[in-house]
Amino acid sequence: MIGSLSALGAGLAFGLGAIGPAIGIGMIGGKTIESMARQPEMAGRLQTTMFIALALAEAIALLGFVLAFVLMNVGAK
Amino acid sequence: MSGLGEKVNELLFELGSHKIPGLPLTNYMFFLIIAFVLTLVFFLLASRKLSMVPKGIGNVAEMGLEFIRDNVVVDVMGPEGKAFLPFIATIFFFILFNNLIGLIPGFKPGTGTMGTTVTWALVVFIVYNAVGIRKHGAWGYLKSFYPKGVFWLLAGFVMILELISHFIRPLTLSVRLFANMFAGHVILGIFSIFTVLLFQAPGVGKVIAILPIAMQVIMYAFELFVAFIQAYVFAILTAVYIGGALHAGEH
Repeated sequence: MIGSLSALGAGLAFGLGAIGPAIGIGMIGGKTIESMARQPEMAGRLQTTMFIALALAEAIALLGFVLAFVLMNVGAK
Repeated sequence: MSGLGEKVNELLFELGSHKIPGLPLTNYMFFLIIAFVLTLVFFLLASRKLSMVPKGIGNVAEMGLEFIRDNVVVDVMGPEGKAFLPFIATIFFFILFNNLIGLIPGFKPGTGTMGTTVTWALVVFIVYNAVGIRKHGAWGYLKSFYPKGVFWLLAGFVMILELISHFIRPLTLSVRLFANMFAGHVILGIFSIFTVLLFQAPGVGKVIAILPIAMQVIMYAFELFVAFIQAYVFAILTAVYIGGALHAGEH
């Protein structure tokens, strides 16, 4: 019972935790393309900034991923 | 599709770190050493014959270093950041080689375990704090977390938030690299498990087994991309943190 509940919790932790970062990454990518189309000469600087922002958004999703593993191990005990 | 659960557990166990019998190493440490030797050999070969117009392997190394210098160091930290080019380039290439050897079937990335990435993140944490303290003095560096021209109660609250986000940096830096490499390998492994189980199943399963194989090829290409991106992101965040310590209190 605990095992299956923790598996469910792990899935929910990652699934729900990925919604926000997914929206964020989509917005970052879209806005970067928009600004690059508007000012192509800024493309290099924009790309650098985009990767920094992507990494920060992605970290939140990956914390959910690690939390999912922690929850799965709770069930295994 | 019976036996999926056990196979997945087996895969996760296989991807954990184990002691190699007879050696004082774990499997990840072994591949870390391989990546270290590869990086060393690559740069020794690249710098063997130095000339104005580099050829072959020297050209590749120079291209990579120039990429780090122009797109990471100078873009983020400005010209005064050039002093940190060796540090950041070392981090970038070591992580890149680690990630790339993990893509060879049977090999593991040295970055696929928390131990490696936490150590590197702590090294980065110590370096950029040392840079900030040397530039501004211990008191001045601490004061840079305190926003100027704000009501003191709010400013104290902001300072606590700033300090928390400051100390969480090594955590996110290490978890990002580890989780990306680990998750990539889990996904590749799970698609191979699907392929094998579908191929063993009777009837139409053998035909459907094409789908996970195709998916695996696509994911493999994506993992190659991730290997580069994660090394780049780790290097660029290091540059951002050092740059932030250099210009502390100016924003």
